[in-house]
This record gives sequence, structure tokens and C-alpha cells, in this order.
Amino acid sequence: MGWLIDLLPLNYSDAVVAIGAALLGIAAGALGVFAVLRQRSLVGDALAHAALPGVCVAFLATGAKDATTLLVGAALAGLVGALLMVGIERTSRVRPDAAIGVVLSSFFSLGIVLLTHIASTNDANQAGLDTYLFGQAAGLLERDLDVMAVLAVVALAVVALAFRPLKTTLFDPAFAGAVGLPVRLLEIFMTMLLVVAVVIGLRTVGAILMVAMLVVPAVAARQLCNRLSLLIPLAALIGAAVGVAGALIAARAEVPTGPVIVLVGFAVVLATVLLAPGRGVLWRGRKLARDRRRALVEGVLVDLETTIHAGPPPTPRELALASGRPRRQVARALSALDRAGMLARDGERIHLTESGAAAAHAVLERRDLWSAWLEHGWKLRLPDAREPDPTDLRASLGDDCADELRRLALAGDGGGAAGDAGQGAR
Amino acid sequence: MSAHQDGGPPTAGRGAGDRAPALEIRRMTVSYGARPVLWDVDASFPAGRLSAIVGPNGAGKSTLLKAALGLIPADAGQTLVEGRPVGAARDRVAYVPQRDAVDWDFPITVREVVEMGRYAPTGWFRRVPRRDAALVDDCLERVGMGDFRGRQIGQLSGGQRQRVFIARALAQQAPLLLMDEPFSGVDARTEASILELLAALRDEGRSIVVVHHDLGTVRGAFDHALLLNVRAVAEGPVAEVVTRETLARAYGAGADAVGRDAGEALSWAG
Repeated sequence: MGWLIDLLPLNYSDAVVAIGAALLGIAAGALGVFAVLRQRSLVGDALAHAALPGVCVAFLATGAKDATTLLVGAALAGLVGALLMVGIERTSRVRPDAAIGVVLSSFFSLGIVLLTHIASTNDANQAGLDTYLFGQAAGLLERDLDVMAVLAVVALAVVALAFRPLKTTLFDPAFAGAVGLPVRLLEIFMTMLLVVAVVIGLRTVGAILMVAMLVVPAVAARQLCNRLSLLIPLAALIGAAVGVAGALIAARAEVPTGPVIVLVGFAVVLATVLLAPGRGVLWRGRKLARDRRRALVEGVLVDLETTIHAGPPPTPRELALASGRPRRQVARALSALDRAGMLARDGERIHLTESGAAAAHAVLERRDLWSAWLEHGWKLRLPDAREPDPTDLRASLGDDCADELRRLALAGDGGGAAGDAGQGAR
Repeated sequence: MSAHQDGGPPTAGRGAGDRAPALEIRRMTVSYGARPVLWDVDASFPAGRLSAIVGPNGAGKSTLLKAALGLIPADAGQTLVEGRPVGAARDRVAYVPQRDAVDWDFPITVREVVEMGRYAPTGWFRRVPRRDAALVDDCLERVGMGDFRGRQIGQLSGGQRQRVFIARALAQQAPLLLMDEPFSGVDARTEASILELLAALRDEGRSIVVVHHDLGTVRGAFDHALLLNVRAVAEGPVAEVVTRETLARAYGAGADAVGRDAGEALSWAG
């Protein structure tokens, strides 16, 4: 890793921190996708908490604070926790979320008890074990990076190799089982991948907040992309960016790394959840508001046209009464129609202009056509699975189909008896 | 793996009599705790026919398919595909799970889902050959989804999702198709066109078994039926299975429990 450290335009210790955080971000981001898409994000949380007693036991057993030894302990404890969760879920009637809760809290408690015990022994060597709680990127050494890099490369290579079985099992386990994939084995394997990610990140982010590095990149990436084969690299990228930014800030400010990384990650998730095109909250909110407004305006337009058809032009108040809509909504819709030049006012009373009447008829035709489609659409025998746009059926089906639908609708209204006879003979 | 001719359906035109049953289930027993879901069910679905598994809600219809494929543990029972144990004949079966069994917000496109049908035949770790890519496109065209290949699956309607699942099964090129409730929650138009497609597949020589909830369409569309209510109540040609007497036994006519389905079916059968 020396060459990479030299390459970065940072001083030595910052470079080590940045590389460590990037490795963690890449591994946890890519592998966390397998937790989030299985809707098992909290399994990652439980595994991270379960790793803590492993670190303590490894320390007690060897007496050495060598990072590699401690991480082996963390991995073993994580595996035990994972198998315990799977075992509880399969053999008892305990639900997965409860199994996760039991394993997470009991392993973590054991870890805290052991940490306290180790601290009370006054072994000079023990100082710093508590960084495994909240993480301390500044404590990374160059040789830690090598271990992290090897683990990350191996895990990602395995994911790339087994991508299709993993994808199939993730998406549709029943299908995967039917074509002969060992579904349970693959599911356990995905949990193992999470253990690897936890081991890579434990020193930097800490047991308590490790889950954020698994979940945050996957959630943010999912907002931005619709394909698993792109989602995994994108999550790795986001994870690396979040990790490096958080770790560098934390190293400067001399605060534990975990919380800072999580706060940076939260900012990224917030931004993508709000702003992502197509999926973002703001984007969807704007579309919803537009759709509602359109529905209201069209509804009032049609009400107005039917009222005028039946009697004298109404006042806004009469229109609201006749249509059963709140007066405020009617007033809002009328002012929109007015701006579009569809209304003519005669004192209090409202007429439709020529363009207004045309628009009202167009809306009515669209609605009739849509009803006709729902009732008779299957008789058109469209050659494919097209589903026409309800807001503009004529354009999406073509004039021929639309006219045929109208004909079917008219025939259906007149010839009910004949239709029934046809059904009976089928 | 190369023994069967390109995975294609068996030769069409031969009568069903001289072929082993496409799917044979023997003494299948499944229970959840103490509650029996399937009890010593025997069934034999003929090759080259369109068969339905019908029965009231909770009769174990879907469970029978899943247990036959080994997707859920059975207490006892055996499944034979073309006379061989199902474990040795996975490449002869294409399974279409229930639509709501998967997360439709999953980041995957229509084409990728159908491509999944080719993974097992070509090998899980090999690049998908070009002729397989063409086959995937053909299967999409066949279910009328050719224009949708690049869509994210979450953007599809219920009927379109069902078509995608069927296209994936077609891509497997297996002679036996097992479908779990393909018509639940789809519009009339999709139901009609899927039934038409199934009949065409049958005429090409494939064997199809469908878990079906609508007794009204069974008589018109299917050749063979298994009437199930925890036990196998009746099995055979549709006209013999869907009768007043057998339906009464499966649905308990006369009791308060007669469902609307059963009532309709009786008026059909009568």
C-alpha cells in the first residue's frame, strides 16, 4: 500500500486514514446491497454488535492487541451470531426481527461486560480496545490496510464470480430453488459477505455504527439507479466517498470516526431521498400535486359543461352546490380555467368559451374511451401487452383502435341481450 | 446436459397415451405443525395436455406445486418428472411462482428477468451466448412484451408482470410448465391472451399444469384437472372432474361454507 500512500496528495497519516476509509466504504457499500435488498439491513447491525465480544475474547486469549488477531475473533463471533439468528429463525417460531434483536443485544452486552473486565485488569496493553465501539480511523496502521485490501478484493471477486446465482436468489428465491440453486446455502453465503464487510470496517467505524456503512450507500445508490449490476459499483463509490470524507473530518477534529461518517452518510441519503429524479420525495410530490390539480380542473370543467347543458349558466356557488365540491376547490379550478381562456363571465354567471367547450368535450371523450377500454379492450386483440396511457388513450392506441372501441361501447350498450347469448354459447 | 435436443419441447402430434406422465406426484403429505395441508395426494398430469389444479381457498393448491418441486419440506411424498425424480430433471421443468412472491421494486429490468431463464441451461458462470440473447427477445415478443425490455419491473402493471414471468419460463425451454395462480389479479385481457398462449404451447407438445382459482374458466380452457381439498378429491378429464357431485365433495355444498366460486361452478357443471 506504500505506493498508494505516496501517490496521494496528503500527509502520511491522512493518506492512511483516507485509504482505510475508502477500502471500508467500497467493501461495505458493495456488500451491504445484499442486506438491504433482502430487507435484512438489521442483520448487518446484529453482526457488527456480535463482533465486539469476539474482539474481547481474542484479546483475552492471546493477550496481544494485534489487529489481525482481534479481527479474526470478530469474524468468528460474527459467524456464531449469524448462525444463531438463522437457527432461531428456522427452528423456532420466533420471527426474524425478534431473532435479530435477541442476538444483537445479548452479544453486545457480553462484549461490554468483557470490555469492562479487561479495563479493570489494568493491563497496560488494553488501552484502546474501546475504539472498537465507536471506531478510530486515526489509529489505522499501514499493515492494517493490507489486511483490509485483501479481504475486500476477495469478497468482491467472489461476488463478481457468483453474481448470477446471487442475483437470482435475491430476486426470486422460489424460482432459484426450482432451477436447482442451493438457496439456503446462498443466503448463508450472503450473510458471510456481511461478516467480511463488518470485519473490514470494525476498527474504523466501530461496532455500534457499522450498520450505517452497510445501509447508507445501498439506499442512496438505489435512489439513483435501477439495475443491480450498476447498483453494486455505485454503492461502493458512494461508500468510499462517504467513508473518506467522514474519516478525514474525524481525524482532524479528533472525534471518533463512526459518528462523523454516519452524519456524512445521512446527508447523502437525505439528499438522494429528497432529490433523486423519478424516486425522490420532492420529484414525486411535485408530480402528485400536478396530477391532483389536473384532475380537479378537468372535473370542474366537466361539471360546468353538464350544468350549462342542463340549464342556465351557474354562478360559482351554484356550481359548487351542483357538483358537491368544496367552494374553495371550485374557485381555484375556475381561476385556472379563466387563465387558460376557457371561461366567459357574465356578471356572476359563468359560460364556457369555444375553447372551453372543446376542452370539456375532449375530457368527456377521453373518459368514455377509457371506460370502453376497460370493458371492451380485450376484444381489440392488441398484438402485444401495451397498456395505453389513461390520460391520452387515443394517442397511445391510434385512431383505428379508438374508433373501434367507441363502436364496441355503443354496440355493448344497445345489444346487451345478444352479448349474453354469445357468452352462454362459449 | 446435452442429451435433450436443444431443450426444445418434445415432438408434437403424438397422443398422450404413449408418453410417461409429464408430472406424477405420489403420496404427497405436507403439514404446518399439526395442521395437515396436503394428505396423501396422488396426481398424474398427462404429457402434452393443459391441466388445472383447482380447489377451495386453503386446499393446498400452491403448496402442492412447491412441495412437488422441493421448495418447501414435505413430510412424505415423491415427485416424478417424465418418470424421473424431480431432482434429476430440473432442466425439464419451468416454474412460474406467484407474482407477489417477489419484490417488484427490485433493481432489475424486464430483459434481465427473462434472461434468468437461460442461466441454468447455459451454466451459471458462463457468458450468455448470442443465440440465447435472441431467444430471450423471442420469448419477450411471444408474450407481447417486446417493447418493454428495458423497463424497470416496478413500472409494469400486474398483467405485464405476469407476462414477464411467463416469458422467463419460456426462455427455459422446458417441456413442462408449472404455474402458480397466473390469473389472480390480472385483467380480463391478459387472462384471455395468456390462456390463448397456453393453448398454443400445449399444441406444440408442451405439458402445462396451472394452479387456478376460477372454476368458471376451467371447463372451457383446460383438458385435465385435479380437484384438491387437502386430499385429492377427483382427477381426470375436466368434464369428469368438474361435476356437481365432485365439487360438492371438495367445496362441501349444502354446508354454509359453500363459496361463491363453488356456486358459480355448480351452475356451470349443471
